[in-house]
Amino acid sequence: MMIEALLAVTLVGALVTFVAPNRIAGKLAFAISLLPAGLGLWLFSAFDGSGNALLEGELAFESRVEWIQIGEYTVSWFVGLDGISLPLVVLTTILCTLAIVSSWTPIDDRESQFYGLVLFIEANLIGVFAALDFFVWFIFWEAVLIPMYLLIGIWGGPRRKYAAIKFFVYTNVASLLMFGAFIVLVFSLGDAVTSFALPEIATAMLEGGPEAFMGVAGSTIAAAVFVAMFVGFAVKVPVVPFHTWLPDAHVEAPTPASVLLAGVLLKMGTYALLRFNFTMFPEQAEAFAVPIAAIAVISVIYGAMLALAQTDLKRIVAYSSVSSMGYVILGLIAYTQFGVGGATFQMVSHGLISGLMFMAVGVIYNATHTRMVTDMSGMADRMPVAVGILVAGAFGYMGLPLMSGFFGEYAIFFGSFGSGRLPYSQVFTPLAMFGIVIVAGYLLFALQRTVFGPYHLETDYDVGRAPLHDVAPMFVLLAIIIALGVAPELIFEMITDAVDPILENGGEL
Amino acid sequence: MEGLFDYAPAIALFPLAAFVIALAFGPKLPKKGAIPGIVATGGSLLLSLAMLAAVAGGEEGYYHETLFTWAAGDAAGEIGTDAIEFTFGILIDPLAALMLVIVSLVAFLVHVFSLEYMNAEGETGLPRYYAGLGLFTFSMLAFVYADNLLMAFMFFELVGLCSFLLIGFWFRTRSAPSAAKKAFLVTRFGDYFFLIGVVAIAATFGTVQFAGEDSFVAAAAAAIDDGGQLFGFDAETWVTITGLLVLGGVIGKSAQFPLHTWLPDAMEGPTTVSALIHAATMVAAGVYLVARMFGYYALSPTALAIIAFVGGFTALFAATMGVVKDDIKQVLAYSTISQYGYMMLGLGVGGYVAGVFHLMNHAFFKALLFLGSGAVIVLMHHEQDMWKMGGLKDKAPVTYYTFLAGALALAGIVPFSGFWSKDEILYDALIVGLEQPLIMAAYAMGLIAVFFTGFYTFRMVFLTFHGEPRTETAEDPHSVGWAIKAPLLVLGVLATVAGLANLAPVAKLTGAEISFLEYWLDGEYGGLEALTYHSYHETVPFEEGAIGSETTTMLLGAGLSLGLALAGAFTAHALYNVPSPTRHTEKLGGAYDVLRSNYYQDEYQVWLAEGLTLPVARAADRFDQTVIDGAVDGVSSVSLFGGDRVKRIQSGIVTNYAALLVAGFIALLIVLGFLGGWFL
Repeated sequence: MMIEALLAVTLVGALVTFVAPNRIAGKLAFAISLLPAGLGLWLFSAFDGSGNALLEGELAFESRVEWIQIGEYTVSWFVGLDGISLPLVVLTTILCTLAIVSSWTPIDDRESQFYGLVLFIEANLIGVFAALDFFVWFIFWEAVLIPMYLLIGIWGGPRRKYAAIKFFVYTNVASLLMFGAFIVLVFSLGDAVTSFALPEIATAMLEGGPEAFMGVAGSTIAAAVFVAMFVGFAVKVPVVPFHTWLPDAHVEAPTPASVLLAGVLLKMGTYALLRFNFTMFPEQAEAFAVPIAAIAVISVIYGAMLALAQTDLKRIVAYSSVSSMGYVILGLIAYTQFGVGGATFQMVSHGLISGLMFMAVGVIYNATHTRMVTDMSGMADRMPVAVGILVAGAFGYMGLPLMSGFFGEYAIFFGSFGSGRLPYSQVFTPLAMFGIVIVAGYLLFALQRTVFGPYHLETDYDVGRAPLHDVAPMFVLLAIIIALGVAPELIFEMITDAVDPILENGGEL
Repeated sequence: MEGLFDYAPAIALFPLAAFVIALAFGPKLPKKGAIPGIVATGGSLLLSLAMLAAVAGGEEGYYHETLFTWAAGDAAGEIGTDAIEFTFGILIDPLAALMLVIVSLVAFLVHVFSLEYMNAEGETGLPRYYAGLGLFTFSMLAFVYADNLLMAFMFFELVGLCSFLLIGFWFRTRSAPSAAKKAFLVTRFGDYFFLIGVVAIAATFGTVQFAGEDSFVAAAAAAIDDGGQLFGFDAETWVTITGLLVLGGVIGKSAQFPLHTWLPDAMEGPTTVSALIHAATMVAAGVYLVARMFGYYALSPTALAIIAFVGGFTALFAATMGVVKDDIKQVLAYSTISQYGYMMLGLGVGGYVAGVFHLMNHAFFKALLFLGSGAVIVLMHHEQDMWKMGGLKDKAPVTYYTFLAGALALAGIVPFSGFWSKDEILYDALIVGLEQPLIMAAYAMGLIAVFFTGFYTFRMVFLTFHGEPRTETAEDPHSVGWAIKAPLLVLGVLATVAGLANLAPVAKLTGAEISFLEYWLDGEYGGLEALTYHSYHETVPFEEGAIGSETTTMLLGAGLSLGLALAGAFTAHALYNVPSPTRHTEKLGGAYDVLRSNYYQDEYQVWLAEGLTLPVARAADRFDQTVIDGAVDGVSSVSLFGGDRVKRIQSGIVTNYAALLVAGFIALLIVLGFLGGWFL
């Protein structure tokens, strides 16, 4: 019942915050969010699961209640955690708390609604990672979009309406594609499945696969479903060429929304790819390995090149997310313990680091009211602590050793270089690795121009030291990033435990 | 003695503690973080000396201990292993113990020197400075005793971070942040290859350990013996490829051609930083790595030859550029590049002892020269142009005589330390070169560079210290205190006598057993068998030749290099040791412009970054905005447009709807009619 408690606390907290007065909403939401964050850490310490949630693993905090009967299919309230989902749930709870604190400065309008929506989005994100019934999962999956749409559309920048609608429609159309494909899959599995429970569907897929359905061969259906779902999730990740909603959404979104968007929402895409495409369709994944690896490499390099061309700090970080998510795809397609495990680790790590980067950029924006690289220089002179953390975060993004990003990337590179499943892996891997040079290029260029050099600001504001509540969340993130970088086994062990069963289905173990 | 090894982790952790203290409490501390730094590096130095004693006095004579597992898992290695562990561990053998002493000694002296150089000058941001020094010392020491390649890579990168932070210390200027960025970017470009190398070695051999039964070096040797294929290459080729990939990192950090361009710019940092990072230790990291995994390179004659050739070429290439520099630190910067070229040359021809010997000597005399130039800069009220100096000899005797000792060592004049190690390198290169034409070319370049080294070194000495003072500042220089003089004296003594560690030519001539460094690195006092000089020497595949006998070859080589060094020094004497020296640049003609512009190396690298990559990035951005995002917006425009047109049917006039209804009904009937075959 712990997951239900987690969800209930967060949802009730969201409702309470909605009706609270604006004046206290920020502090109240922070206080409330400490409950799920604390619960999340408790779940982490009390975790006793093993194996993979979809592949007959021992679930932690499992609960399953029959809910609705639709024709031959049973829909259940079915939640539980394994070594892949737990770190993401903890990431979500921590990042939401920190995002709330980082909103205290920039959000000064309709606060109770803002913080209520943040808590609402948190509840749905927890649901996405915990749900193990497709029906339940899909409700949470879609429900995430609405609060994010509102966060961007109401509290966003000048082009917020365009960005919010683009975000909503683009990802929603992708969801439709994925949803349709999944329903086709369920029907084509025939009598092998009697519910929407993901483990059951995964078992049916791995043991028999789809039958011929409406005159189309089973293998063709499997391939088509794989591709449709891949595209559906790829929009969310996002990978090139489905990425153009992301920079617009980030640039217009208020800082805390950016933190959640980059920190957790993007991971929904890679998480779903891992759970659906790469767990249920190992054969199809192998058949499409080369094009997927090519997409991964293109995302890494092309995304990094785009970041290099930007002059808006937020756009730089946004495009670099495209680049970093490319590594995740490469790790997943490698089908090795280090590849898939490293990809999962990278989801968590990138959530922390990109969250930190968006917060740091936000702190600078709060003070200067501009994000343009050309508008400022020498910020280190006026806000040394905030800039120090920004520099640390930037090096984290570059994959500096002893910070979490390095382990994620190293594990992915190592896992994919030796992969026997991915043809030409010794070519793809070094190509993708060139991203570590470009990332250093654009981040150092940006740092050189904005935070170093003689102090200068185009906008008419007086810049002083950032307040403690702006800086404190970044310190917390930095501490976690360094802890995971020094001792990645903190979560890598449980991740690999959950990854191994996936690899037994044709991967390398 | 063995028990001392248990304290080894503290060697690196002391400076880490100093970093944390300086960062957290620096502004409140009396010397802004200098004291914790001095205490910590002093502690590291004492412990490093203890390690030296423990290696010499212990039964096993080495320390190899895994501290903790960073990450472990299953992974299929190319040679058939099925699991891998990435760990943090410590390996202290004669090489590591020696390097620990060098690094902690230089770091300690630099901290002391900073007391006057930085603190007394009223710098702001001192806590940041000492934090940077502490983090740097930590990273470098951890790198030195890392027991595996991945850990070495990790601290290698951290060293790069520290150099970024310290070069950019004066961040309010425009040039320092730019130089810091360049240093990190250029070395990262090298580290890109290094990381591929690490990944490839791990994926091939299932281990990244430097030493022991399960080291990748041993696995590689076994794979070559088996004669199998690795990733589609035969084993030796694959070892060559991976070795050269790792070498990418070495070329970046040790500023070898063509990735040397960051080092001269890095002189933007405080001179103490130049001494610590860009002379004695960080740049040493690259060459040290080659020595650390020398067993691996020894397996591949191709890789060795490339190391030797790059080294020889860099030695000459950088030395020629040093000839025309006016800034005292720039001369030293190019000499650093050149000297590391010698070390690469030495290692590349299999002269493991010679390379390490020069690494040690160079650390002492180059730290001395940089700190000496720092003292000169203090004397000159922050003037670095040698043409504005002159005549400092009598006004600052301690600085002058210590600097002179460093200069004699750098130029390779007997009996100063640099002579012995450089001579040994050239001798090793010569005997291999007699059998291998490519190595002969590398040797020849190294030999010619000796002349230029002697020339630019003494041009610097004469312009700075001799002649008449050329400015008012030089007439009446600032004074320097004990915190500057003491480190100079310590290093001055070392630069003079460090050669005694390995008087190989004397040993060969007299038969006296005085090649102490060779015995040390050969494991005679303790060490691992696989990491000894003789075991490397057996593996190195080069034939050695001689001109006449071994002794004549040696004497010939030594005479040649000493003669050239003296010739260079005397040329400088003739041109610049006059009361009012002139530039003499017109004698170089067109060559002057080329040298002055550093062979246009910066130009093409900046062009690669700003003239090529940036426009490509901008083009990609335009493509993204117009084509890819245009397609997305296009889809939405089409649907909006379609909706807009279709909605016109909704006119609100009932007769229109009735007409549509009827038309639709008729259309439906016709369709059904066709399908039902009514019209046939």
